[in-house]
Amino acid sequence: MIFQKPVPTNKPTFEPVSPAARPEPPQRRSADDVETVVGPSVNVEGDFASEGNIIVKGSVAGSVHTSRHLSVEQGAKISANVRAGSAKIAGEVRGNMKVKEMLELTSTARVVGDIEVATLEIEAGALIYGRIIMPGIEGTETRGRNRGTVKKIEETPPTV
Amino acid sequence: MYVYIYDNFLREHKYASIVKAMEISLTDYGIAGKILRLTNYTDAKTIIEDEIRKGVKTVVVVGNDATLGQVLSRTATADCTFGFLPVGDNNTIAEVLGIPVGVEACDVLSKRRKERLDVGWVNNRYFIGQLHVLPANVEVIYDERFKVTTNDKMEVVICNLQPFFWKKNKKDEQTHIVHPQDGKLEAFIRPLTGKRFWGYTYEEPSIFPFEEMEIRGEEPFAVEADGRITKEIKLKIKLAHSKIDMVVGRNRKF
Repeated sequence: MIFQKPVPTNKPTFEPVSPAARPEPPQRRSADDVETVVGPSVNVEGDFASEGNIIVKGSVAGSVHTSRHLSVEQGAKISANVRAGSAKIAGEVRGNMKVKEMLELTSTARVVGDIEVATLEIEAGALIYGRIIMPGIEGTETRGRNRGTVKKIEETPPTV
Repeated sequence: MYVYIYDNFLREHKYASIVKAMEISLTDYGIAGKILRLTNYTDAKTIIEDEIRKGVKTVVVVGNDATLGQVLSRTATADCTFGFLPVGDNNTIAEVLGIPVGVEACDVLSKRRKERLDVGWVNNRYFIGQLHVLPANVEVIYDERFKVTTNDKMEVVICNLQPFFWKKNKKDEQTHIVHPQDGKLEAFIRPLTGKRFWGYTYEEPSIFPFEEMEIRGEEPFAVEADGRITKEIKLKIKLAHSKIDMVVGRNRKF
């Protein structure tokens, strides 16, 4: 044993846990409730897409796409176009956002870019620099998209 | 026809009674068979292929996570059904497969509820439980679409069947657990932040489910797959769908 080589010290911090000390296992998970988590000091570059929910605590550059929920936490930074089923933003987003259902902007949210969303909830203190397009008003939706500015939508004569 | 592959640690005196009880139970069910013992110099692939040629249809691994990893990583392509009888400590995969540890496992084996399991594939070999990249300066490319980097070293754990346990730090009393899902591999990335005089501190893990990924490093980094440590400079990891025909329990987690 004296001549045995020293064991490498870069061992993982997570240690095998005895079955008794282990917490109760969760219920069976389906592919729907899978979460992708981007940690605080992790940088993601490229076409970031996921089938499940996404939680961003770090930084993402490129594009973000999920058909489910996107959560951008305080301190997180997204420099990308975003497409999501629903979203809650507490961090910074630089890029256009297209959210199918509900978008929630908390007081710490900073959004630089256009937002296209069905339902929007903005808490006092949130900052937005860009256009907000909400489908639902008849006659304005398609024209607004084609012409590309909010001003053009306002110029259309009201239908009485 | 069944063949049983016993891990070498089962020779220890403390396992004698449980092994005896299992053998009695298997005889009662009428599924007893030939017993082979793994040693450090045994190649599981050779002996299993030899037994299949003799007409064996079911290979049962008796031991713990390491035994299952050692056998299945070499024989994932074998044309037979695999069973597992977990004995002793370090049995986290058994819980995922719904197989109770000890004599009750014989009951699950006798019922022959079969499922085809996915296995991980890394640089021309398979892994069953976990693949672990020890802390190193590496970058991770997912599905050839996006790249994940950190400012300093990172530790990567890729789970196939083995759940991932982690603690925020040594003082954290709560053990966090994430069970892998079927149909995807799950990568847990733990960046090491701020080197201090007592060493690095770990951040909470980032989680990425994926089917294909590449890990690259400028210098060789240590990789542990099912207990086997190698040094690599580039890893290509894929999910091989429905590769292993395995007897599982009703309480499986997939």
